[in-house]
Amino acid sequence: MKPLKLTLLIAAVLAPVSPIFADDLGDLKAEISKMRADYEQRIQQLEQRIAEIEVKQNYVRAEIATVKSAPTSSKNNNSFNPAISMVLNGQFSDYSEPADGYELSAFSLQGEGGLAREGFSLGESEITLSASVDQLLFAQSTIALHDHEGSTEVEIEEAFIETLGLGNGLTVRAGRFYSPIGYLNEKHIHAWNFADAPLIYRGLFGNQLGTDGVKLSYLLPTDLYAEIGGTVGNGDRHPGSGEHSGIGDWLVYAKTGGDIGTNHSWQAGVSHWQASPEKRAYSGGHDHGGADGGAVEFSGDTDISNISLIYKWAPNGNYRQRSFTLLGEYFYSKEDGTLDLHDEIHGDESAFYDGKQYGGFIEGIYQFNPQWRTGLRYDRLGSKLRASDDELLTDAGLDFSGYHPQRYSLMMEWLPSEFSRVRAQINHDKSSQNDDTQLFLQYTVSIGAHAAHSF
Amino acid sequence: MKKIISSLLLLVASSSVMAELNIFACEPEWASLSQELGGDKVTVFSATTGLQDPHYIQARPSLIAKARRADLLVCTGAELESGWLPLLQRKAGNAAIQTGAAGHFMATDHVNLLEIPSSLDRSQGDVHAAGNPHIQTSPLAILQVAKALTLRMQALDANNADFYQQHWQGFSQRWQAAIERWQQQALPLKGSTAVVQHASWPYLFDWLNIVQVAVLERKSGVQPTVDDLNNVLKQLHVTPVKVVIHAAYQSPRATNWLVDKTSINKVTLPFTVGGNEQSNDLFSLFDNTIQHLLDANK
Repeated sequence: MKPLKLTLLIAAVLAPVSPIFADDLGDLKAEISKMRADYEQRIQQLEQRIAEIEVKQNYVRAEIATVKSAPTSSKNNNSFNPAISMVLNGQFSDYSEPADGYELSAFSLQGEGGLAREGFSLGESEITLSASVDQLLFAQSTIALHDHEGSTEVEIEEAFIETLGLGNGLTVRAGRFYSPIGYLNEKHIHAWNFADAPLIYRGLFGNQLGTDGVKLSYLLPTDLYAEIGGTVGNGDRHPGSGEHSGIGDWLVYAKTGGDIGTNHSWQAGVSHWQASPEKRAYSGGHDHGGADGGAVEFSGDTDISNISLIYKWAPNGNYRQRSFTLLGEYFYSKEDGTLDLHDEIHGDESAFYDGKQYGGFIEGIYQFNPQWRTGLRYDRLGSKLRASDDELLTDAGLDFSGYHPQRYSLMMEWLPSEFSRVRAQINHDKSSQNDDTQLFLQYTVSIGAHAAHSF
Repeated sequence: MKKIISSLLLLVASSSVMAELNIFACEPEWASLSQELGGDKVTVFSATTGLQDPHYIQARPSLIAKARRADLLVCTGAELESGWLPLLQRKAGNAAIQTGAAGHFMATDHVNLLEIPSSLDRSQGDVHAAGNPHIQTSPLAILQVAKALTLRMQALDANNADFYQQHWQGFSQRWQAAIERWQQQALPLKGSTAVVQHASWPYLFDWLNIVQVAVLERKSGVQPTVDDLNNVLKQLHVTPVKVVIHAAYQSPRATNWLVDKTSINKVTLPFTVGGNEQSNDLFSLFDNTIQHLLDANK
């Protein structure tokens, strides 16, 4: 019984494939093959569409593949060599009064403070080298070559190291650098807008104030630019003088600035510098001190305060296309101490001295297209000099009449490119009682590394 | 006074909480790309507008203040910003954005540049030793930069790495679809010819197969003289060209001169995001660029 049941069950299970149903099976096969054909057609269509998409994607990919896959390093100037640039200039000067007789009333002209020689002259040739020292430091040095009384002098204008990534807005600089007093002072003379220094720079600093020391600056983490800082130095650069074992001069400053829309930007700064000069010799009027007898020397305290304001207008911020710059600076110097004259024939003389010298300038520069600029400048100085013995003021070559030196300057520049400039300038100079008309024709070019576009 | 200081500090603190990455983009195209990829995880500042010449920017006080607080610089590189960016880096007192740091991202480092000069001499005008820096005129280059920038953002802000990955994927899909669309639209431009004012367009032309017949600035960055322009004019008598192209930020003086002398069509292209009113982002920048070119070639 059991085997029979099993056989029946097997027969039942196998029934569909048994020859009894052969006709039905043929129909089914035909149906399946038809379905297969249908699907194959559809799959083919799909495959074709995918292929089309892939072709398109490959088109994009192939073009992208021509683009670099791995980053290359940033290309710096001359790989590891420092960025080198040189500024060359030459000028032709013409004055209605003799250049030797130039005086700035109530100020003592020091260093390069006088007028450039008449006729053709070479001016300063500057070489600047700069580079990152390592991951922390940047270094820059500017060496100037210029003629002085028939021989070529080499001067280290700037040589400093500066931190790059101290973070938190802090930067430390050490070495020789231009003091952060005023706006123009930190710029090299060739970057100024006129061929000569403002009278107040000439009178107080012998064109520019520098120091050997350390500078610390802190940039506040605000949207509005705000920077505060200070410097300490050895105090031996004019108007400082003498050897100081510790801090010979110090300075504090604060700067702020920003934009108003895209067309306007501005910066304002205040600073105060202090030094205690020892035996700082006056140039003594015409006879450059000490030619007959001795020179008058100042010892005491010198305090100089500055306020500067700069405003720039450039449509859409394209200052090279068209722009206007308005710059004004004012300095106030107060000196307190003694004047001493060492004279072997007449004996030593001494007097208490209290001198105030002040003044400033305002200049407006209009660039009317990428290649032409013109500008106007007005200088005005004043003074109030008091000494217990006026004779010493006279011996020092200081005019204490309270005369106000003034000067009007007009310049025109042609800028063939970013790297070259030809300038013509005319001054009506009333630095002293003798009015002078001064004319300068000057070229300045920069070769080598690209100069920075500072504000 | 204390109140002012504490509120200032609060302001500083709160702004750094709001977004993880503070991005300083040198040009608007990179600002736009950074925003696409960073979404609300980044705060983006563009140092220049679409109407500014990126070669000639001054290191203004406002830019120094922004650079001081940046976590990431996204700039073109290839010396385009060499007049002002190094100065910003020096003055910012910010370790994050110094050359070589992770926060120093130069787009041209990630793209093969065209027009690499065989000799370097300033008598040739403003030559870029590394090659032509105006890569943003090709969407292919932008895609490549986007990929590298995503990796950089992920490295700087690891907590949001997944977020940046998602944004990159979303952007690259949309961008590739857009590239396809632009290529379709621009088919009529294939093989067309153009005169350009400044060598701003090699990447665009390379992408769309447009042939540059002449450059008005015989020396890059130097205003062409009348002689230079007359030479171009002579060239156009031999090979007539339908369009002369200048970027919106450039003074069109030279282009206008040519338009006056010939029947050539003037095209002012946006060049970057913000170059005209229609170009609000990278997508509309290319929509607009191609539309302008098609219109002028009709």
